[in-house]
Amino acid sequence: MKKIISLLFVLTLIFMVWASPAYVAERPYKIGVNLEFTGPWAEVTKTVKNGMVLEVETINKMGGINGHPLEIVFEDNGFDPGRAAANMTKFTTDKEIIAIVGPFEDNLQATTRAIAEREKIANMIICPSNPMVRGLKQKWAFNIAQSDIIVSQKLVDLSLARKYKKVVVFHGAWPLAQSLANYYKTFGEQKGTKVIISQETHKPTDIDMTPQIIKLKPIIEKERVDAFYACTGGPPGPIICKNLRTQGIKIPILGTHAFGFGFIIALGGEAMEGVEFPAAKPVVFDQLDENDPVRAINIDFDKRFRDRYGVGADQLAGYGHDTIGLIYDALKRCQGKVTRATFREALENTKGLKSCHGIYNYSPTDHDGLSKKDMVFVRIEGGKFKRFKLPEFE
Amino acid sequence: MDFWAYIPQLLSSGITMGAIYALVALGFVTISRASQIINFAQGEFVMLGGVVTFFLLNGVRLPYPLAALIAVTIVVLIGFAMYLSVLYPLRKASILILIMATLGISIFLSSTSGLIFGTLPKALPPFTDEQPLTFWGISVLPQSVWVLVSTLVLLIFLYLLSHRTLLGKAMEASSTDPLGADLLGISRSLMVFLAFGVSAGVGAFAGILITPIFFTSYNSGTLLGLKGFIAAVLGGWGKNTGAILGGFVLGIVESLSLAFIPSGYKDAVAFVILLLILYLRPKGILGSPFIDSRRW
Amino acid sequence: MVKKEKKYEPPNSNDRSPRNNYLIGFWCFDIIWNLGFGNWNLNLSRQENMVPQTTKRSQRDFRKRDVFYLVPLWLISLIAPDPYLYHKKEFKKKDLYYLGAIGLAPLIWSDPHFHHVMVLAGIYAILALGLSLFMGYAGQISLGHAAFFGIGAYTTAILTTRHSFSPFVALWASALSASAVAYLIGRPILKLKGYFLALATLGFGEIFLVMVRESTNLTGGVIGIFGIPWFSVMGFSFDTYLRQYYLIWGVVTGLFIFSKNLVRSKLGRALLAVAASEDAASSVGINVPRIKLEIFVLGAAFAGLAGSLFACIMSTANPEAFGLGVTVPIVMMVILGGMGTIYGPVAGAILLTWLMDILSRYQEYSLPIYSVILILLLIFFPDGIGTRLNVRILYLIGYWAKKRKRDEGKL
Repeated sequence: MKKIISLLFVLTLIFMVWASPAYVAERPYKIGVNLEFTGPWAEVTKTVKNGMVLEVETINKMGGINGHPLEIVFEDNGFDPGRAAANMTKFTTDKEIIAIVGPFEDNLQATTRAIAEREKIANMIICPSNPMVRGLKQKWAFNIAQSDIIVSQKLVDLSLARKYKKVVVFHGAWPLAQSLANYYKTFGEQKGTKVIISQETHKPTDIDMTPQIIKLKPIIEKERVDAFYACTGGPPGPIICKNLRTQGIKIPILGTHAFGFGFIIALGGEAMEGVEFPAAKPVVFDQLDENDPVRAINIDFDKRFRDRYGVGADQLAGYGHDTIGLIYDALKRCQGKVTRATFREALENTKGLKSCHGIYNYSPTDHDGLSKKDMVFVRIEGGKFKRFKLPEFE
Repeated sequence: MDFWAYIPQLLSSGITMGAIYALVALGFVTISRASQIINFAQGEFVMLGGVVTFFLLNGVRLPYPLAALIAVTIVVLIGFAMYLSVLYPLRKASILILIMATLGISIFLSSTSGLIFGTLPKALPPFTDEQPLTFWGISVLPQSVWVLVSTLVLLIFLYLLSHRTLLGKAMEASSTDPLGADLLGISRSLMVFLAFGVSAGVGAFAGILITPIFFTSYNSGTLLGLKGFIAAVLGGWGKNTGAILGGFVLGIVESLSLAFIPSGYKDAVAFVILLLILYLRPKGILGSPFIDSRRW
Repeated sequence: MVKKEKKYEPPNSNDRSPRNNYLIGFWCFDIIWNLGFGNWNLNLSRQENMVPQTTKRSQRDFRKRDVFYLVPLWLISLIAPDPYLYHKKEFKKKDLYYLGAIGLAPLIWSDPHFHHVMVLAGIYAILALGLSLFMGYAGQISLGHAAFFGIGAYTTAILTTRHSFSPFVALWASALSASAVAYLIGRPILKLKGYFLALATLGFGEIFLVMVRESTNLTGGVIGIFGIPWFSVMGFSFDTYLRQYYLIWGVVTGLFIFSKNLVRSKLGRALLAVAASEDAASSVGINVPRIKLEIFVLGAAFAGLAGSLFACIMSTANPEAFGLGVTVPIVMMVILGGMGTIYGPVAGAILLTWLMDILSRYQEYSLPIYSVILILLLIFFPDGIGTRLNVRILYLIGYWAKKRKRDEGKL
């Protein structure tokens, strides 16, 4: 009798150990997130965080990566380079963190890139890269958003289609805006458009650009320009449009991809009617082509986002989704041997990953991921984003 | 010299900004006449006026005039709360502590507003339609006309308040001669309390006027408050008329200077004017009963 | 707990300022040395001066580099305690304990985050120390001190990245440039008093920020300057947080001793007189504008030094970091530490920096909570946290206890 009981006991133990989740549960893969949760971009980064949290939950429900759950650690850098650097250091000294999802804003990019390069940890930055940081040829930094080159190329296509012969560019005083303006000029003049870059600039936190517009008005009238390119991101975009219309300037306005947010229309009001810009695909995901693989992903993500948070997904949540998607894909390809170096290798070899924003392809020479095909043309009509197609430029 | 072409346009936008600076300066002077405190959180009242109205209009979906009225009331209540909780306990403290306390309140109000209402700039619909009126080559928004008219109405209202009502006269008395007012039985702390309410209300009113033209965001209050203070010093510290005059002069000079210097230096102009005034004529344009020039 | 009362000794009017003795002595020594052994080879080409001397030098050449090493030696002479002063025991045992604590703390907690926060606290301590000399001892108000901080940081940034000066040289150059600007604007600004001085310094700080943001060629505008090298002295580079910790706190200790010496000297007593009453001080014969200017310049020099170290640690210089977000904390550190003490600002710096670090965990709520805490501290501890803290708590407890008695009708 005792022997049977002890045999049963041992068998039960073996069975429990074999079937228990405690055996299956492996150490989580930790990703650090260093975003501006306070400061001028607080509302915006909240959506990114929500997108990321939703995706991580979905992945973990499906069992994680070979049983390893994915875990993200959020830290706020308050739009301050010092704190961004401190957070980077905090993450790199924690041995369990494999990669850091970096700042949302351009100013902080250089700081975190330098630290990532020094500490040899992959840094995935949400904002686009610019020539200054690309010139540094850093191995450990990757950008997720559409780069300034493809945005400018798309915009040049738009200007050609609309037959704008002369365009005046009013850009912001930070590297991304400046490089957008410069690329637009380079590419535009290759294709025969005359581009005038104004001497006046503005700062990202300006809320009134009337003085600069007043100074630009004589140039606009004298040169008889066909369009006005508001080469900026964030709140200055709609403010410029509003100031232009207040001054009675009625020429068409071109925008950057940063115009693709709901708050832009809310801020600008009537002045935003007719503004055209190249947008990221999540902005108008329900108006994409039927055969576009990205459309299905966006619709599914939007539904899940709406179920969870009650509001629809947009470009920002798409960035969150894509970041986690890239991490998930790279971790899967690491095949069990997950270290910071192997993660970076795997990420750099990402090919053809379909995500909300488009199809990501990284390579040792290209750390930007997206291409011109991942953007669409959008016009603001009736307070909503309406996609329109230019057949020869799709 | 084609920058002479800008001048009329800049003048009109300068007068609009000048009206706002005048209202903020009035708020400063009201409090400091009653209590010798300089309220660095004055600009935050302006910001709150605009932001709370936006919230009531879009979040709670009240009609525009009602939202504006309730917003002004809320900001007045915040002004009262501020006085009771922070400045009344510190009424005997040194200047430095008072400055730091009001700066602390300013940080609190701006960061809490960013927390509750969001950090993006907010716009309100203008009172009448948005199409600019063009005459003599300059385009003027109808809203600017509303700003000037409303400022005038408010000033008349405040004048009537302080010279025709008993409460207003008591406040005037308390500011002009504290000891005499005390002897008459006018409670000084009550007068200061009311002064906070009045200046908060004036600030909120200015905020509602200005938000349709210039957006307000959670951090636009700080700079506005500083410029309002500069306007008050410019016009003659301690006098209502001085504050108003200083506001308009500052707005116009700041705007006109843009014709000659790159637009990024706009904020520095106000501070350069401040330093010049403090060195050359600290009494201000109209002279001030509080500052004795001989000591400088 | 009965404290031993020290017998009060009135100040000895025969004491002399320590600086003069050592300074004259050192200069005589140096002049003689150079006259006797120096080769007056005024080879002022920067290239040679900046290369460290690895080859044997037969004769001691007088070069520009020597000036930069002379200055710190002079400053060391300022730190050395004056043997003629009546207070023989200038440094008590508790000073040694604090020094030991500062020295040993990073070895006990070897968490780099701890080091990083203490490094920041040290920089704020230098700033607060300079400001406390100006505000606490001379009784003025300065709300624009962050501008000098920024001037120091940008000077270092420009010199090290564009002109390849060594960070050590850039350190002194920043202190010098900050002092120069303070000297230029000091005399007119210091004529103002009270609110107007506060406002004028605030205005100056704002003007500085606008100028930095606009002059993109010089300062990189909104983007700032990148790639400032680590602070290094003769090949020893302070690149880890641990080394930076010792560097910063070494500087703090040196400046601390300097300040202690300063307040015990003639200048220090003149400052106290000016703070008490400017008219009375000028009637005694103290040149009040000059004293105020001197202490303003000194405070600015401290800030410039702090700025230079900050730039070397952050390796970037950005205009956002030098606005009201720095000024308000350092003024709070001076107030909360207790105005008019030397330990006060240092303790206040450590306290507030740790507070800010703890609060950053709460992300969006950090600023509102921070401002509420500041206001509460101002209401309840206007003299500083350290002063009579135990007395205050005992009083509050006693008041509460008596309240119950009062309610019961017994008192």
